[in-house]
Amino acid sequence: MVREFFRRMRYLLNRRQFDEALEDEMEFHREMAAREGRKNFGNTLRLREQSREAWGWTWIDRLGQDLRYAVRKLVQAPGFTLTASLVLAIGIGVNVMAFSLFNLVALKPLPVRAPDSLVRLQRRSPEIIAGEMPYPSTLFYRAHAHSLQAVMATMGAPPMEVENDVQPVSNIYITSNYFGELGTRAALGRLIDTAHEESADAAPVTVLSFGFWQRRFGGDPSVVGRVIHLNKKPVTVVGVLPAAFASLEDQNADVWLPLSQQPYFVDGSTALTDFSAPGVRVWARLASGVNSRSAEEELLALTNELRKQYPKVIWDHEYIHSDPAGHSLVMQREMYQVAAMVGFLVLLILAVACANLGGLLVARGVSREHEMNIRTSIGASRMRIFRQLFTESILLALLGSAVGVALSCAVLRVALVQLEAPGWMSARPDWRVLLFAIGTTLAAAVFFGLAPALQMARHRQRKTLARQFLVGAQVAASCVLLIISGLLVRAVRHLLYTDPGFGYEQVVGISPGLDNHGYTPAAAQVYLEQLKTRLRSYPGVASVALSKIPMLGNGLTSYMSVEIKGHPVNIYPNWVDPEFFHTMSIPIVRGRNLLPRETGAVVVSESLARLQWPGENPVGKRLWPDGDNMDIIVGVAGNARIKALNEDDAVEAYWPVQPGDMAQMTLVVKTAGAPDGLVPAMKSMIEQIDSRLFPNIWLLKAGFHHSAQQVEQVAAVVSLLGTVAVLLAGVGIFGLVAYALSQSMKGIAIRLALGARRTQIVASLLRQFLWPIALGMGTGVGAAAVLSKTLRKFLFGVSNLDPLSYAGAIATLIGILSIAMLLPARRALRPDLAKLLHYE
Amino acid sequence: MPMNERYKPAMPSGALPMLILRVLHSGSLHGYAIAQKIHLLSSEVLAVEEGLLYPTLQRMLLKGWVDAEWGISETNRKVRFYRLTPEGRKQLKAELLGYERVTEAIQAVLRTA
Repeated sequence: MVREFFRRMRYLLNRRQFDEALEDEMEFHREMAAREGRKNFGNTLRLREQSREAWGWTWIDRLGQDLRYAVRKLVQAPGFTLTASLVLAIGIGVNVMAFSLFNLVALKPLPVRAPDSLVRLQRRSPEIIAGEMPYPSTLFYRAHAHSLQAVMATMGAPPMEVENDVQPVSNIYITSNYFGELGTRAALGRLIDTAHEESADAAPVTVLSFGFWQRRFGGDPSVVGRVIHLNKKPVTVVGVLPAAFASLEDQNADVWLPLSQQPYFVDGSTALTDFSAPGVRVWARLASGVNSRSAEEELLALTNELRKQYPKVIWDHEYIHSDPAGHSLVMQREMYQVAAMVGFLVLLILAVACANLGGLLVARGVSREHEMNIRTSIGASRMRIFRQLFTESILLALLGSAVGVALSCAVLRVALVQLEAPGWMSARPDWRVLLFAIGTTLAAAVFFGLAPALQMARHRQRKTLARQFLVGAQVAASCVLLIISGLLVRAVRHLLYTDPGFGYEQVVGISPGLDNHGYTPAAAQVYLEQLKTRLRSYPGVASVALSKIPMLGNGLTSYMSVEIKGHPVNIYPNWVDPEFFHTMSIPIVRGRNLLPRETGAVVVSESLARLQWPGENPVGKRLWPDGDNMDIIVGVAGNARIKALNEDDAVEAYWPVQPGDMAQMTLVVKTAGAPDGLVPAMKSMIEQIDSRLFPNIWLLKAGFHHSAQQVEQVAAVVSLLGTVAVLLAGVGIFGLVAYALSQSMKGIAIRLALGARRTQIVASLLRQFLWPIALGMGTGVGAAAVLSKTLRKFLFGVSNLDPLSYAGAIATLIGILSIAMLLPARRALRPDLAKLLHYE
Repeated sequence: MPMNERYKPAMPSGALPMLILRVLHSGSLHGYAIAQKIHLLSSEVLAVEEGLLYPTLQRMLLKGWVDAEWGISETNRKVRFYRLTPEGRKQLKAELLGYERVTEAIQAVLRTA
């Protein structure tokens, strides 16, 4: 077989010689036969072709012919070629762009050492998923797990002050093996490593990000070895990270610090020794030959061991969950759902583009009828004609795809800069993107080229079925895109212009970070009383309240998933003082407020009251009628989805602050006027009471606008896709109708001459498009209703079946389709009778 | 169908490569000579169509059973001669063996049935 292959290849390379020899040989045969009086040697050309077929390369010749012919045909119709490749470039470009983004975050391995063996570890139980785990337990796992070759941990922290800069810098604490495990090389100096920073009493050092080094120090290489001050603590800069640094999950910070030195920067911190602190995010490298499942088994055994030693620390049924961490994003199931959803939306654009192009080709097919007839009559088989036409389609698809890939590259380059993507991400397509582009191109060629080519090869150009199918497909796809963009736009408007149930414009959040500095609950209580008094007396402050859960800032969100009357409900709990409701402008609609130092009382939101006790007054009832918990509902507050702006089913419950939680408390401060100018004053006030503290202060409106902005961006992108789709569909249908009418101009003229009314004629001609449009819309609405379920997270209180969005989308579509159909019809309505009758 | 004089039995399918291999066994020949020799040796019963001969020869080149080399014909013309390769010899043996077994089997059926 191998030798046969080589002989085939040798033939391919020396085709001309082989061919000449064959021709020569046959000529000789013919001469000899003629001498003997036989003259019936067959068609030499045909014989030679048959002989050549033995080598199996004739398809190359045919392909060459087809390609040459296709190029000629496309060059002859530059207008068509340009339109078609632009339409395709949009369809393919959008898809390649979306895939490139997905590739960057989820498929392309991080450019670090052995990314395949990296995993992220999370504490879980059937009820709880924790992003972080206590550092002492991490140390325990690190010391005892044989299935893990290395364990890395990071701890986020509030921004730090650099020297006396106004702008604080982001920072992160990392275990000393972090850079070594990732195989990172310093751009300058050295990085934090196990040789220097493993012990807690090593000299304080920091590593700067490349960007920060450029911005703050102007890229000055002498920064290495310099002492700078972070939160007023001296620390030596030992090195700078590379520009294209890849970190786990693309963690990003300007200043990188050894975790062992966290107590040096945060006075009194117990984060490294306290089993009850939330602590650190953890990653590990699996030992060679170990899979994540057996690692999880070993970790479960270790968790149970840890429970024996520290029974209070470990939850019921706790286990350690691992996820592959070798990509920029650690993908979760719901992320795949969103990715699939986005994938589907961009595929719809491609579908519209293909259907559009299919329509163009069908129309072109009729004008090429003559050409096809000639080719058939000189002996071309259907197969041959089909192959020829399909080659044209593939050539067209390749042309469009080349433009599309270039377009997507350009957009991606801008997007990566805009999104401040990590330096290692590049817009240049890698092999996965190219493979995807080729696959999409071929699929597109099949989708838009197959049906018209088949129709033309079989001389069925004039059939209307294909035309109707193409119209239906375009309508359905643009309908889905319009509805979904309508939903998202409505969601943004809803979020921005309806009352979220609480005030945020004039509220400041403060997290003093008392627990980070080792405050006991009693000391924290004293501190908080002092701070509250000072804040209240400050001019411009209207009221001050405590809240355990930080409002619209960074930090933890916790919720309880319970089942009420068969429906899963997420209850967002908070522990607050009586001033909270007033400060956040949340009304108490029934019953009373919480009292200072009250226990066993709870205030629930209206939505929770309605779910649990529909039509009843819940005040005075037990919150959990079945359990041991005796908490009595004392009041009902207005709905305020502060922690879950986007969750329709979220409900809230408020308990009085517990003395034991004091060190974890945050404050909310309502100001009389605009809060923006008060932040520096509040900061110095907090630092005056305890100079070790570096509080985190934020404006609630900033957090609110941040959430709104994300949805706004998504809505903008989807609306753009929807607009593109509906315009493409409009233009496509315009073309098809105009073409259908032009075909029947003669018929129209004759019927006009016979006295038929013009409107009647046009209506009867347009009727052929009505049922495909209706069918397409029905399909589109159904698909949108199913698809939008996955979008509910982004819909911010707008139902995914929101009738207004659906009606709006359908109205827009009908409007555009009517224009697309009536414009060409108008021409048919005022024809020059005499001219038409002379047509052809 | 009445048999008339001009009737020539068709070449059994698959026999041509074997015949070509056999006539080349005694020395290399050009295409025309191969056809001639088969025609003569079969007492002018078997005629080799050009339309079959050349595609078959190409296939045999591809399989590596024969080699082609340039030579001079009886009419002093430069022409391609086909020569059996060692692989071709093996193939000839195998085909002859197979052919004998098939003919014996057919004759056995014809005798006894």
